[in-house]
Amino acid sequence: MLTLRGRWMSLLGAFLAAAVGVGVVALSTLLFASGKAPVPDRLAAAAVIVRSPAASVTADPFPEARPWSSPAATGLAARLAAIPGVAAAIPDRVFYAQPVLDGRPDESVTLGQGWAGARLGGAGLVAGAPPQGDRDLVLGRTFGRSPGDRVTLLTAAGPAEYTVSGVVDGAGVFLSDATAERVAPGVRAIGLVLAPDVDTAGVASAAERVTGGDGQVLTGDGRSALEPRADARTRWIGMQVLTALAALSGFVTVFVVASTFAFTVAQRRRELGLLRAIGATPRQVRRMLYGEALAVGAAASVAGLAVGAALAPALGAVLVDAGFEPASYRVRFEAWPVAVSLAAGPVVALLGVWSASRRAGRARPLEALREAIVEDRRMGRARWAAGLSCAALGLALAAGTATSDDAQNGATFALYGAMALVLAAAALAPAVVPPVVRLLTWPLGRVRGATGMLAREGALTAPRRTAGTAAPVLLTVAFAVMVSGMVATSANAYAARRAAAVETGTVVVPDGTPGLPDTAGRGPLESTVYTGERPLSVSGVDRPGAAISRGLADQYGWSVGQSVPMVFADGETVPVRVGEIVDSGLGQVDMQLPRDLVRAHDPSALAPMADLRAAEPAPAGPGIRVVDVATYAAEADTEEDRLIWIFALMLVGVSAGYGALAVANTLLMSAVHRVRDFAVLRLAGATRWQVALAAAAESALVVAIGTLLGGAVAVAALVSIRAGLSEQVRAPVDLVVPWPVVGGVVGLCLLLAVLAAAVPARGISGGWTARRSR
Amino acid sequence: MTTVMLREVRAVYGTGPTRVTALDGVTVGFDSGTFTAVMGPSGSGKSTLLHCAAGLDRPVEGTVTIEGTLLNALDETALTRLRRDRIGFVFQAYNLVSSLTAAQNVALPVRLAGRRPDPDQVAAALAAVGLAGRAGHRPSQLSGGEQQRVALARALLRRPAVVFADEPTGALDSATSRQVLDILRGLVDRDGQTVVMVTHDPMAAGYADRVLILADGRLVEDLTDASAEDIAARTARLEASC
Ligand SMILES: Nc1ncnc2c1ncn2[C@@H]1O[C@H](COP(=O)(O)OP(=O)(O)OP(=O)(O)O)[C@@H](O)[C@H]1O
Ligand SMILES: [Mg+2]
Repeated sequence: MLTLRGRWMSLLGAFLAAAVGVGVVALSTLLFASGKAPVPDRLAAAAVIVRSPAASVTADPFPEARPWSSPAATGLAARLAAIPGVAAAIPDRVFYAQPVLDGRPDESVTLGQGWAGARLGGAGLVAGAPPQGDRDLVLGRTFGRSPGDRVTLLTAAGPAEYTVSGVVDGAGVFLSDATAERVAPGVRAIGLVLAPDVDTAGVASAAERVTGGDGQVLTGDGRSALEPRADARTRWIGMQVLTALAALSGFVTVFVVASTFAFTVAQRRRELGLLRAIGATPRQVRRMLYGEALAVGAAASVAGLAVGAALAPALGAVLVDAGFEPASYRVRFEAWPVAVSLAAGPVVALLGVWSASRRAGRARPLEALREAIVEDRRMGRARWAAGLSCAALGLALAAGTATSDDAQNGATFALYGAMALVLAAAALAPAVVPPVVRLLTWPLGRVRGATGMLAREGALTAPRRTAGTAAPVLLTVAFAVMVSGMVATSANAYAARRAAAVETGTVVVPDGTPGLPDTAGRGPLESTVYTGERPLSVSGVDRPGAAISRGLADQYGWSVGQSVPMVFADGETVPVRVGEIVDSGLGQVDMQLPRDLVRAHDPSALAPMADLRAAEPAPAGPGIRVVDVATYAAEADTEEDRLIWIFALMLVGVSAGYGALAVANTLLMSAVHRVRDFAVLRLAGATRWQVALAAAAESALVVAIGTLLGGAVAVAALVSIRAGLSEQVRAPVDLVVPWPVVGGVVGLCLLLAVLAAAVPARGISGGWTARRSR
Repeated sequence: MTTVMLREVRAVYGTGPTRVTALDGVTVGFDSGTFTAVMGPSGSGKSTLLHCAAGLDRPVEGTVTIEGTLLNALDETALTRLRRDRIGFVFQAYNLVSSLTAAQNVALPVRLAGRRPDPDQVAAALAAVGLAGRAGHRPSQLSGGEQQRVALARALLRRPAVVFADEPTGALDSATSRQVLDILRGLVDRDGQTVVMVTHDPMAAGYADRVLILADGRLVEDLTDASAEDIAARTARLEASC
């Protein structure tokens, strides 16, 4: 009905806010959807895979399946091979193996396979012969070796010299089947290679019957469940990061777009009042605003999606570099993120305009006739209710943060808590703006000159508009201070814990490898055992019997002296005698077992580190580094800190970057609409600079209000984070606020605000604008 | 026949210490086909009277009837429809939507009523107020008097039962004022249009059949066929007394 033309100036702001928001949403959902695991290369040629029974899900999001023993796997493979259409059924025997090239372990490959497994990946020999003896090896072509070359290979037994017997396509490492059977006795998957033109589904259901309950049949994309555990872990971390990013960007988008629309509508009160006076019903006014919002939202969706899709590959590479995604991560354009992004613009715009249009529909026609826009200062009951319930929710989440003893949960609670508090502050802002303005401008009232008075009264007569303009500042400051404060405070807490736990001594740590072999010392071996379906993480240390944590013992009713059957990594069931129940827990693991017992059943287990006893000579060799304990602890924390900082920077980047844009956006819109007031000032005798100064002062006041409210939200969140941290490290923690970050963010908002307000105001030349802006 | 009837209308703004009684029990009727001028000192309640009569504001007490329809009984939507279909209004200032051209502004109530405006009719309405060549101009490209005349064209387009005009000549020079007043007079004489106009200008009031004078929210004079000099003398006396 009414054309958008001519209104584009006020709608441009809403369009920009929505487009950038949709861009970020598109980016994070595209990256999120790409996070699906690929089918591992080594199993690409196996159309059907039978996997050992899945372990029940525990705290570990990616438990490894309980393996079959070697004889069980061989027997099952023989029965599977008998299915018509199956060309071969090959146990997937994988173990730790890493070639050493030019004196350094090659970090791209850590898995070795038996030669038979080459068929599962479809890799054929391109030169030489299959591995025969114990010290023969077939390498992928990518290593650039030829048959007859000598290569050092790291396995759990330590480095050893091997002879290259052959070369295949790809990047694999293959040992003879006899060797593989020895170092990888437990089997978690049997791959079925089908004869040409055989129906996969038919074979899969036949395999289902053969396996019975003892295994799970996977086909197609389902085979991605067998991706390496380390990759799955990394991917899981990436998912956490992207979930937080998507949640935050979605929140920030709805928030900014809603406040921009509220603002746009508030600016147009006069026009809407005039429309009402000459015959537009409240419903027509609402419909007009919904129509505009839909058009703006749809356009923003398309623009945002294009931007998001263009940036996704670059950010994907950053995620891989940062260690949030495994190297196999590729950005894929799935349908659902595209659909979500296309829907996001209109939905967000409609949500944004919803409450604003209700208010506009209620606008009394006479408002068109008033000279100045003097608002009704009272807040609606719905707004009070919404603001107070958000505040209550935020405080409840803050309490959750404060009492959480898990860092992951604590951070999640803190983020959502801060979101709720930001909403509460924004909803209640019109009520708190007048006292805050009076407080902030009290010194201004004392000085002579019009600037202070104009800024103060401008903010006071329209608390809703002031609150709307301050909202993006509030959001930006709250998240920037909260996230950077959280990171700095937790880094500080961990540093304090490290300093408290300082130990002397020297340790051997891996260098470019996932763990230490036996030649590097008798470090604790990491392995998994199963009781029933449940996986237990174990540490193989030099001790006589098994030690279990009190929690585990109580859960299963185990007592000292009892013998409990456990399935080991080789699939064998062995009775384990409970030697000790430890009240204080065992740190990272569920159980400690004698090292030799673990080694006997898990020939490929590695140790994360090893103590170096004073008397021993330091071991040497590839993949080993000898450092003192303090350095080791600091390095481990530095790596953790690095990840947290990258994560934090991404969150601050999204919220603060977008927030700053919204600050400039709203203030520019505000300044453009205030041009008339400023023109009147010019006519009343103010110089160009006085007008610019008045506009800048008003903007600075708005930034101050937003900073104050945002700071309050951030401090509330940080106090709860500190309480949660001291719960985790069991010591008092100092609250650290990184003032440079805070100063930078507030300074940026101030700069943008002052520029956005002063530049249009300075360009005003009396009479021309007085008429123009009518 | 009485087109608009106000009975015992009281209008109050604000509460507590800022409370202002803008109209204090006004009873007045406007007959069909008459031209009435409303005068009085600034702040005497003239605009408020017009707003109440046009259904833009609801009085705290008293009734307003237009063509037999009791406005007090109508809900917001029904009131809006009545305003759109039966009442024309020219405001004291800020009459036009700045993003629309003169012609679009004139046609706006028709569009709001969900009908397609007739371009010839819109052109004729603009021509009647002497703006035939300015149809495509936006408010920012028009002078104050021209904007006022566009608003008048809009008010007249749908042949309303009554046209209210709040100081339509307030910002105009005397030649342009006369132009606008001649248009209004012509409407009354030729088409039997009912017109109620607020003005401070005795010369303008001289065009009217009847002059009402308000003071402090009360009706103090009701003159028929008064001359401009007579009106000027009475208003001067009134202003001197307060
Ligand atoms: N929205 C409002 N809030 C408070 N008081 C108001 C409001 N509108 C009008 N008034 C007061 O009501 C009284 C009548 O106002 P009104 O606008 O009807 O006067 P007027 O006769 O039209 O004056 P003028 O000739 O200056 O236009 C005045 O005292 C005015 O201050
Ligand atoms: Mg008036």
